[in-house]
Amino acid sequence: MKRNASARLLAIILASSASCGALSGCATTQAYEREKLADLIMERQNPFSKQTLEQKFFTTREGSIGGSAGIGGGCGCAK
Amino acid sequence: MKPIHKLTACALLPVTVACSAVSAFADGGDQMGFTTYYFTDSGSNTVATTAFNLAKKLLDATVVLIDIELDHVTVPPVTAITGATRPQRRKDETFEKNRGQIIVGAEQGLGLYAKVAGNFYSSSEVDYKSTGGIATFSQELAGRNTTLTLRGQYNADRVGELLEDGSLIEQPKKTYQALASLSQILSPTTVMDVTYDMMYQKGFLSDPYRQVRVYDGQGASTLADELHPDYRTRHAGTVRLSQYLAPLGASVIGSYRFYFDTWDVHSHTGEIKFNKYIFKDLVLALDYRYYAQSAAWFYQDRYVGPEYIAGALRTSDYKLKPFSSNNAGFSLTYLLRGLRGSGNDLDFLENAGIEVMYFRYFNTLDFSADILQGTLKFSI
Repeated sequence: MKRNASARLLAIILASSASCGALSGCATTQAYEREKLADLIMERQNPFSKQTLEQKFFTTREGSIGGSAGIGGGCGCAK
Repeated sequence: MKPIHKLTACALLPVTVACSAVSAFADGGDQMGFTTYYFTDSGSNTVATTAFNLAKKLLDATVVLIDIELDHVTVPPVTAITGATRPQRRKDETFEKNRGQIIVGAEQGLGLYAKVAGNFYSSSEVDYKSTGGIATFSQELAGRNTTLTLRGQYNADRVGELLEDGSLIEQPKKTYQALASLSQILSPTTVMDVTYDMMYQKGFLSDPYRQVRVYDGQGASTLADELHPDYRTRHAGTVRLSQYLAPLGASVIGSYRFYFDTWDVHSHTGEIKFNKYIFKDLVLALDYRYYAQSAAWFYQDRYVGPEYIAGALRTSDYKLKPFSSNNAGFSLTYLLRGLRGSGNDLDFLENAGIEVMYFRYFNTLDFSADILQGTLKFSI
């Protein structure tokens, strides 16, 4: 039951977020309007991103995993 | 519980030093990188890593890549909480091992708005081996305002146990992972990302080095190997909102992750970042992250009864205890693009920069870590 409730909560969070995004995104942003989005501080394509290192740090010390888009694989440190 | 100041006094300052070089060749699209870093934490664990990667554009829409990483891990004789695996039965001596990792792959563009990628992953250390495949499909939609990414991954691992006589016992573990991510531009200054990640693991999911103290009714105790279920399904959903604050020359990025699995571990993770140009080419970033999780259903503070010597599930994995953690830090990034000039042959500094980062991690299990990282990156 607890697991079903968690699944429902997760589905609600993701569905409502995606719906809000889809509705808000109906007003298309043109390519020439995206200068700010491409800025380094928006971290969309940050060449100095530390995400992989940080995620590995957390994965080896916490019971949760996933939810980020980084590519990785198995290693003994995350058992 | 040990006071934080005592931990701090006893702990080493974790230091990660990373140097990375990336070169993009004149014909465009090719990249080569070299990375090295050194890391120690408050448990005196150290990891020294050297990595090399190459991305080569073969045709207009085809890129092949190779990434090689070598780690050297050192774990001190006794650690309360460590991210690195070590033989518990050799806890009185320093444990050292090497790990090698290679990723090879190719990315193929499919028209203007889609691409597909395939990668092969292999990692090997003396008592752990992992081999996997990753397939990714990405499609831009709605005038490139929406990006949908789908990813599937399969890993076949061999979990090893080094015995006293140096021999190795290996047991299989398999991981299936699926990820769907939607990135939506909401306005010229706002982006939202929604990601769902599902992982199914089966096989040997314990750590062969961890042991559990089991008590009988009279208070006597004995040690038994950790015993976890042989399957686990894990779900994670993340929502991330990034907002550019034009008047401040800054951005604020907030994210929330909800996680649960079939071992009844539930967690909430919230994170907020603030990035700001304090000078034209100097960026200050402030970061705070809070994490809280519940215990696995078979976790107990104290295992009492003969059934725990036999087949009853038991764990000494601190990652399956209930706890919360805080992580706060900052970074300074100096962009070297300002040094470029006409006719000075310094165009390779276009994507170059130096970064220094510090963060402190501490949790309610009385573990803390300080991490300092330096990064140098440039292209030629």
